Amino acid sequence: MNVSIRDAVRRHPEGITISLVILISLAFAVITGGGWLSIGNLQSISQVTAILAIIAFGEALVIATGEIDISVGSVSGIGALTFLGLAPMVGSGLALGAAIACGILIGALNGLFVALLGLPSLLVTLGTLFLFQGIGYAVTSGFSFAATDSLRQEFIYNVVGGGNLAGINTSVVWTLVVLVVLQLIVFETPIGNRILAVGGDAASSFSRGLSVTRIKFGVFIVSGMLAAFAGVLDAAFIGYADGSFGATMELSAIAAAVLGGCHLTGGRISLIGTLFGAFMLRGIQSFLILLAVQPQWYILVVGLIVVLASIADRALTRFALKK
Amino acid sequence: MAKTDEAGDARKPLISIRNVSLSYGNFKALTDVSVDFYEGELVGLVGDNGAGKTTLIRIISGINPPTSGEVYFDGERITKFHPKKAMDLGLECIQQTIGICDNLSVGRNYFLGREPVKRVFGLPFLDKKKIRETSAKVVHDFGLRDTVDVDDEIALLSGGEKQTFKIARAVTFRNRVIIMDEPTNHLSVRERAHVNELAVQLKQQGLLVIYITHDIFQIHRIADRIVIMENGRLVTDVLRDAMSAEALEGIIRDGGRAPAKGPKVE
Repeated sequence: MNVSIRDAVRRHPEGITISLVILISLAFAVITGGGWLSIGNLQSISQVTAILAIIAFGEALVIATGEIDISVGSVSGIGALTFLGLAPMVGSGLALGAAIACGILIGALNGLFVALLGLPSLLVTLGTLFLFQGIGYAVTSGFSFAATDSLRQEFIYNVVGGGNLAGINTSVVWTLVVLVVLQLIVFETPIGNRILAVGGDAASSFSRGLSVTRIKFGVFIVSGMLAAFAGVLDAAFIGYADGSFGATMELSAIAAAVLGGCHLTGGRISLIGTLFGAFMLRGIQSFLILLAVQPQWYILVVGLIVVLASIADRALTRFALKK
Repeated sequence: MAKTDEAGDARKPLISIRNVSLSYGNFKALTDVSVDFYEGELVGLVGDNGAGKTTLIRIISGINPPTSGEVYFDGERITKFHPKKAMDLGLECIQQTIGICDNLSVGRNYFLGREPVKRVFGLPFLDKKKIRETSAKVVHDFGLRDTVDVDDEIALLSGGEKQTFKIARAVTFRNRVIIMDEPTNHLSVRERAHVNELAVQLKQQGLLVIYITHDIFQIHRIADRIVIMENGRLVTDVLRDAMSAEALEGIIRDGGRAPAKGPKVE
């Protein structure tokens, strides 16, 4: 019995988060008298969860290799600004391409410094976090980019977060697509096996002939790309973006990944858990809004949850790996 | 088995190290080392801590390029140093502290870097069935507990089991060179005997086995040739039968200052 619980915890680190999410959801539904569970509220939670989850998936990949990317908030901001800044002139399709290209470039820049030059990812991405936030402010210079009416009619604009599919924002569909693709890559392909290996033990991976440099470079590019894409999805939904777009998003993304069972030491991640982690954070935020609690308290609650989650996570890992 | 004492031996060395030096900044880890290794030979590479044994092996297994000097494999000069290249040439290194990723399953560790794939719509997916079946057969053939599940994280294995796993992995892929870096550290007496037996078997199958150790008495029983290093230099290279273990130990104890007697190879 003891052994089987251990096996379950070891093989499915996200199980705890998923159970917690279900419990919390029930509690929220009861406390708010069903308000939290209303269709309208769930639609809103699903959209904000989708955006956060896509950024957190990229973050999880970086965490899998034992690194961290705290520039993702700024990158999503750059993605949003590029998209809404260009779309009225060149159309949604080209603007989307440009936004994603920006994300890839920033990811490559991070990857260059971390993977090729061997600098600590925390410092490098802290630098790009400020750098691109600054560029965001500079580009908008206090103003914001807004979607025009004709832009809102464009098909691609609606596909990338601006519209709904069967009552659900299209970004939710994108989140599920990204989840399925990444889940397959990470757990079912040689590349995924090597990503996890590098995070587990970089020296051993190198001795088995893996290119640690290339793998780390690659995950930073994917992280930048996904963050920019999430910025586009969110910008298309909201319809405008200013220089502060995406600010502090990186903290929520890291929190979602950690809550979902990703180990910051690398090598162990859960993408499904990350999705539930994102849902939990956004669900709590919505709950606080429904209770008319000042939004500032959300940050405090997230902080507490992350600290508690890391403590619980360490205890659980020790338990699960005890011989 | 060893025929390297024949004068004018026509056999080509499998690995030839020519005047190799390696410096880390001002520190000279290796100084002008030249040595040949042949197929079907078990060579004991002996020396004190910091003698340069592991540095030499890091060059041979592609982890570090030498600062100067040349390395030949099967007559071809090696210009690109990377572990992947060494693995592709059929060289496997079993190291003390690295080689497995604790977070991955036994099966995934077994195939790490050369994962078998099956194509689905042209995309490469891990062939999990093959990973499970092949690795399970191998680790159990090498005497791991029946309760070891190859889907379990390898962190659950004991130190001796991990070492056995590494040897099993090294042996079952078609290799020409097996390098064992202190393979019997932290092993029980029985496990140690098992590992040494494996080393001899590999040699008998025609492989080159380079066996690094501190324990001159242990290696003297099984090796064909003993190479002693000291302070980054090669100080002695003799056939096992040419010198007693005690005499060799004396050389190591005296820091390689004793003149190396016995027939030099080549």
